[in-house]
Amino acid sequence: MVQIYPGTSQVAQNRRNFTNPEHELEKLREISDEDVVKILGHKAPGEEYKSVHPPLDEMDEPDDSVRELVAPIDGAKAGDRIRYIQFVDSMYFAPAQPFLRARSYLSRFRGIDTGTLSGRQVVEARERDLEKLSKTLLETEYFDTARTGIRGAGVHGHSLRLDENGLMFDMLRRQVFNKETGKVEMVKDQVGRELDEPVVLGEPLDEETLRAKTTIYRIDGEAYKDDVEAVKVCQRIHVSRSFGAFNPVTGW
Amino acid sequence: MDIEIFPHRILGSDTTESLLNDLESLEDVKRTVIHGPRFPKGEATLPAKYQERRVININGEDVVLQVKTARIFLEISMESTIDDVEEICKKHIPYGFDINQDRSNYIRKQKTVTDRIKYGDKELPDELVGMTDQYSTFEDHVKIIKKDD
Repeated sequence: MVQIYPGTSQVAQNRRNFTNPEHELEKLREISDEDVVKILGHKAPGEEYKSVHPPLDEMDEPDDSVRELVAPIDGAKAGDRIRYIQFVDSMYFAPAQPFLRARSYLSRFRGIDTGTLSGRQVVEARERDLEKLSKTLLETEYFDTARTGIRGAGVHGHSLRLDENGLMFDMLRRQVFNKETGKVEMVKDQVGRELDEPVVLGEPLDEETLRAKTTIYRIDGEAYKDDVEAVKVCQRIHVSRSFGAFNPVTGW
Repeated sequence: MDIEIFPHRILGSDTTESLLNDLESLEDVKRTVIHGPRFPKGEATLPAKYQERRVININGEDVVLQVKTARIFLEISMESTIDDVEEICKKHIPYGFDINQDRSNYIRKQKTVTDRIKYGDKELPDELVGMTDQYSTFEDHVKIIKKDD
């Protein structure tokens, strides 16, 4: 078996599930292609993709063995612009978290560039590929409507206390809780521009499910120190990178 | 002495209303300060289904909430009241809470330069010191609720 992540706890297993491209993630909700475009806010739904260079077929490229080996992704073939989607994961048992997102994105998607920060995770790709991968990220276990935020700007909130209804703080109030339906709706796109019609994201997952699905070690959930195998591997990496190639017995 | 109630989640208007009503019913609670993030400016223009803010009723008085409840400061005089407060909190806050009493004052007791700028040379009663923040008007933020006789 490929060793993706050590540990015997449920959190470790969830981390392996996300990172293993062979594992099929559970689909939790249905969001239409048009709604994904609306949330991203890079173009109006139905609008043509803008391009930054002519399609690769029409370009006169120099001979290169790597170009022959690697098949270009659809967006690159068509010459699309590079666009982004950014997620914020609450520390309170969100299903995914930034470092795990980076690992799993890189093992699951081609032609992307991802950046990790303490509270947010951005992923860039050619526009039409981004839309495809955004749909996956929004519909599957990566996303919970309350604990995960789609935020291109104004990302503050991942470490703040949750609202009573379980929603993470959002200064731009993009994702709001509809009291009448009990569902979370997106009333603004990811950078906070008002949408004409709200996009219904669905009901938040309940606390129990979130605790079962989370990839975050927490002292009030599954503590990292209790996962002996994971700690052992971490310590081993720490020791071996501290010593480098140095052998304390022989002295060199 | 002052105590601080620190709920593990930010409380909504309904919970705040029922919690404050029960806290106000305690004889020993003299003053209450709600502390937390302000409601956004556009709150009133939102459709009703998204709105979180509403006028709450405490001991028969209408109170316009200015902030979401993230902490509650209480001024009490007896140590034994803390147990009662804890009981009430257990009833209304299911997500857990802390009751802190490490500081002797959570509500400011001394007059400051800001008070002087705001109220001038007027005599400010002791029970109103520390009840407003310097960026707001008095009427907006302080509600005097009479205790039941």
